[in-house]
Amino acid sequence: MARSRLFTLLAVAGLAFSACSGAAVTQAPSSAAPAVSTAPAAGSAAPSPGASTAAGAPKEGGTLVVGLDGDMVYADPSLISDSNSSYVDAQVVQGLVGLKPGTVSDVIPVLAAAMPTVSADGKTYTFTLRTGIKFHDGTPFNAAAVKYNYDRWKNFPAGPLQDNAYYYGAVFGGFGASSNIASVDAPNDTTVIFHLKQPQSNFLISQTIQPFGIQSPAALAAGDANNPQLDKNPYAQGQGGVGKSMVGTGPFMFKEWVPNDHVTLVKNPNYWDPAGMAHLDQIVFKPFKDQTAKLQALQSGDIDFAQTVSPSDVQTIQSSGNLQVIDRGQSCNIGQISMNQDPNTKGADDPAGHKLLQNKDIRMAIAYAVNKQAYIQAFYAGLAKPADNWMPPSTQYYKPENLPTYDPTKAKQLIQQSGVPANQLTIDLYYPSDVVRPYMPDPKGLAQAIAQDLQAVGFTINLKSEGWRTGYISDEEVGKFPMWLLGWTCDWAGPDNFLLTAFFHYNGNTPSPEFAYRNDELNQTMTAALAATDPTQIQALWQKAQDLIAADMPTVPLVNSAPPGAAAKYVMGFVGAGNLTEEFNSVWLNK
Amino acid sequence: MLRYIVRRVLGAIPVLFGLSVILFAFVRLLPGDPAIAILGQHATPALIQQVHQSLGLDKPIYIQYIQYINGLLHGDFGYSIINGRSVLSDFAHRFPGTVELTIGALIVAVGIGIPLGRLAARHPNGWIDGTVTVISLFGISIPIFVLGYSLVFIFAVQLHWLPAAGQLDPRIDLTPHTNMVLIDAIIDGQPAAFVDGLRHLVLPAIALGSIPLAIITRITRASVIDVSNEDYVRTARAKGLSERRVNDRHIMRNAWLPVTTIIGLEVGGLLAGAVITETVFSWNGVGSWVVDAIQDHDYFVIQSSILIFAVIFLMVNLVVDIGYAYLNPRIRYG
Amino acid sequence: MTAGSTTVAVRAASTRASRGLWRDAFQRLLRNGPALVGLFCIAVFVVGAIFAPFIAPYDPVVGKIVDRMQPPSAAHLMGTDLLGRDEFSRVLYGARLSLQVGVIAVVFGLFFGVSIGAIAGGAGGKVDAVLMRITDVLLAVPGILLAIGIVAWLGRGQLQIMLAVGVSYAPIFARLLRGSLLALRESDFVIAARSMGASAPRILLRHMLPNALTPLIVQATLALATAIIDVAGLGFLGLGPGDPRIAEWGEMLTDSARFLQSAPYLIFFPGAAITISAIGFNLLGDGLRESLDPRLKR
Repeated sequence: MARSRLFTLLAVAGLAFSACSGAAVTQAPSSAAPAVSTAPAAGSAAPSPGASTAAGAPKEGGTLVVGLDGDMVYADPSLISDSNSSYVDAQVVQGLVGLKPGTVSDVIPVLAAAMPTVSADGKTYTFTLRTGIKFHDGTPFNAAAVKYNYDRWKNFPAGPLQDNAYYYGAVFGGFGASSNIASVDAPNDTTVIFHLKQPQSNFLISQTIQPFGIQSPAALAAGDANNPQLDKNPYAQGQGGVGKSMVGTGPFMFKEWVPNDHVTLVKNPNYWDPAGMAHLDQIVFKPFKDQTAKLQALQSGDIDFAQTVSPSDVQTIQSSGNLQVIDRGQSCNIGQISMNQDPNTKGADDPAGHKLLQNKDIRMAIAYAVNKQAYIQAFYAGLAKPADNWMPPSTQYYKPENLPTYDPTKAKQLIQQSGVPANQLTIDLYYPSDVVRPYMPDPKGLAQAIAQDLQAVGFTINLKSEGWRTGYISDEEVGKFPMWLLGWTCDWAGPDNFLLTAFFHYNGNTPSPEFAYRNDELNQTMTAALAATDPTQIQALWQKAQDLIAADMPTVPLVNSAPPGAAAKYVMGFVGAGNLTEEFNSVWLNK
Repeated sequence: MLRYIVRRVLGAIPVLFGLSVILFAFVRLLPGDPAIAILGQHATPALIQQVHQSLGLDKPIYIQYIQYINGLLHGDFGYSIINGRSVLSDFAHRFPGTVELTIGALIVAVGIGIPLGRLAARHPNGWIDGTVTVISLFGISIPIFVLGYSLVFIFAVQLHWLPAAGQLDPRIDLTPHTNMVLIDAIIDGQPAAFVDGLRHLVLPAIALGSIPLAIITRITRASVIDVSNEDYVRTARAKGLSERRVNDRHIMRNAWLPVTTIIGLEVGGLLAGAVITETVFSWNGVGSWVVDAIQDHDYFVIQSSILIFAVIFLMVNLVVDIGYAYLNPRIRYG
Repeated sequence: MTAGSTTVAVRAASTRASRGLWRDAFQRLLRNGPALVGLFCIAVFVVGAIFAPFIAPYDPVVGKIVDRMQPPSAAHLMGTDLLGRDEFSRVLYGARLSLQVGVIAVVFGLFFGVSIGAIAGGAGGKVDAVLMRITDVLLAVPGILLAIGIVAWLGRGQLQIMLAVGVSYAPIFARLLRGSLLALRESDFVIAARSMGASAPRILLRHMLPNALTPLIVQATLALATAIIDVAGLGFLGLGPGDPRIAEWGEMLTDSARFLQSAPYLIFFPGAAITISAIGFNLLGDGLRESLDPRLKR
């Protein structure tokens, strides 16, 4: 049905989208690691059931306690861009469209009765809505409610509301008059029509993420949800009860939030889809900042389910009799050794190091010197694959690049070939000191392992670290480090999200200062790929882009990882996804 | 005494004022950018500028400071730029948890430390003394996170005697009044919640109490030995007073002095220790709050929360000093 | 007033004893069994630190990742760590940095603490009030936050960490010293000295400080041990000292804490090193205290 058409549109609209956001291509929904990872790899991806699929008839009732990686941020899904809030929101609010459970890319209608019809120019999307659905506060879901929500986001005033509603601004190129949504019409109760100013290929896929969940207009108004002073915004602070905050249509209803302690959801007994009716009476989400503490809470029975666990604990979990590891299968991320080639960067930490990395032989030598397979065994519990590209294999138009594999002899040859004297092979390598990321579960260990491998072929590596938010991100974004560890978790599994948004975009005519990698041909190719309409041509252009990058090795890709989780064995029916968009209505307790 | 208290309180005002300047400067000297706290890897120059504007960080520094102080004087301690909650309400929600934990740790430390120290002092360098010394040294020689993980591993993971994390089983429904689980359980008359809260408190209190326990043991031992060698104690013994009377009236009364100083000092240490204990035990308190704020670059939370810490600590100190005067009438406050 | 003048003060006290105080104390120390045990513990690590290059069977910095996480064996007495480095060699080399961290941090702390405490306790009055309020402010900011602040300011590195930990001890030393001095101001021998017309600095240096040092010595020896732990705590919060490849017990412990269940030996050996050295410092400190206190002469 609309699928093949959708993919054509994806490419076309990418152009329009990047055009309307001007120089700042980065305005496209980029993704922080902790961000909402939506992930739609076109056509890829078999569902990857994580935990035990239900054996026998599900038992009803019970409370599931879930250990989350951190606390929820706001009880208004419109204002969040982090993975913890998003994990909770996914149980409570629903959008017009969503992802098929267990996949990172299959868009399915949710509150819409079917996929929309799209006009020939790609600017008008007409949705028909399901009927008979009620919000958790008892008010009806209808076209007017959809319009209310989209108009609300568009009209967020500058200030805290806009700052936090990151995804609306990013996906639609801004708020108010800058938004790519010209208008939303609700001609009758079941029809919603979106009028876009420019075609936008990522429109449908982007609407699957939680910030675009539809909430009850009555509850939003009653909770003063548009109050820009967020400390005085009762809806966002979630201090009411059922029907006061996070009022959606999902299988669970928001009941209580004690910040930093727990979020409680209760079963929605009036859920519109009998097939999706929750088995559990209640879910409690409990934040754990510390991975070891979370594991121990799981082992002692304090919690039933751990959203993620450290790969170093996977073996312990496997060998325990009453726990199961949740293998999420597919990866939707990439971890790499980032490099910056510009010695003239303001505040460059190690100009000689930046200069060294201008030499392609040196970059290739580094690529041959690192033993990715060993890192995967040591730090990822084997739950990762060596990266062979600058995006994970689940991505649309992916092409294996046959990148260098571990060969220290070849690395030494390349160093000789580079003509750089042995005493000038010194370079700083940075790692973040206070976070772990799915693509980087042990930055300190990984950095040391890389340093060890690089020293073995003749480099001298100075290891340095900074706090993630206290210097690391702000410094790497302006290119201060010559070499550092970083990666990307997908927003959606398209090549533009990785190659362009995350990595090698230009700001106007200059490469983004993050990598300072100038390759005008690559830039033109990617721009052309976004503008193309013919699927074969799109594919050819994106694959050319990948080849161009591979030939230059501007950074060294390391791994694509699948972040593991864990649960007690009695937790049944869970379906995991590589982007952590997961729903608990199918879960039941076999005890 | 009253005059003394008033003077101390008035004296604290310039100190706090000075601290507010230092904190304000400190927060701005931190590497990184508060906009990154919201935007993360999403950050672009345009978005960063937009966030700076809404946080008021584009204004001149002195205006920012005046606004900050003006807010403080009106009871507005600012808000978190991450989750928008007001600093005061977060503090009010989380401080009781730390108080509960700290009291638990103090009970462990004082309740075990003082008897242990007196026991050791009875026969200095005897085998009991040696054993007590080694035990107390273990207490301070193991980092809290290692001790915490180990306690949890033994008593929660292996033996299933006690819970591993948090203040209350999330399956138990308890209405927060004071945010101290034990007290809320009493108010609501929920014995099950009280027992569960107590069970949750045991391990973190031991982990946090281990260091002051060791120190209090050592100081008690040292000062009891010191005092025992004083002339007046010898005189008391020579007069033929019972050993118990000598102990209570002459030795402990005087040995308390350094012990109270240390207890007072250790309250500060407990707050610092709470930073790590709260992380290991996922305890909802102010220790982890402040460290999170620093790591998250949460501007207004950092500057206000540390200021609140300072006020509390100055108050604790004042109480300790008053206790001091009570215990040692020789100290005059002119 | 510096750490140096503490020594001066201690020397001044020697005039009260008929023989040289230090010789006297040293002889008493030699008769003190526990103190000798403590001295022995420390000596073992100091010797290990100095001769590490000759004793260590492997390079402490470089390993082979394929050899990672091996339990203790004949080839690797204490096993290997996550990066395949020999744990025994790292514990040996770790003594260098860890002992250095402890000693220098405490020296920093004593330097600031004794200066403030002595001036406050000696001068009394307004000076005392002002200095104590400053101390209160420093104490009011928990040590770890103070340390984070200093590291944030000065950047990451060994010296910064030592300074950070040391400064966080200073107010404790200051208050302790000042508390003792305050009590001593009204004691008989000080009143006597004052009535004989001794000058204030002379009373402070010759009569009060030597008698006020006892609790400070106890606290300082305890601090030597806790400094190593505190550095580990900073590491736990992601503020470890400098290059993680250079062995340091606290950081070795921090990095292994999550292997409590899968590789407990990685916690045991650096943990034991810290514990034994801490016990050593404390036993020695106790012995020193007893030896230095003429009243305890047996």
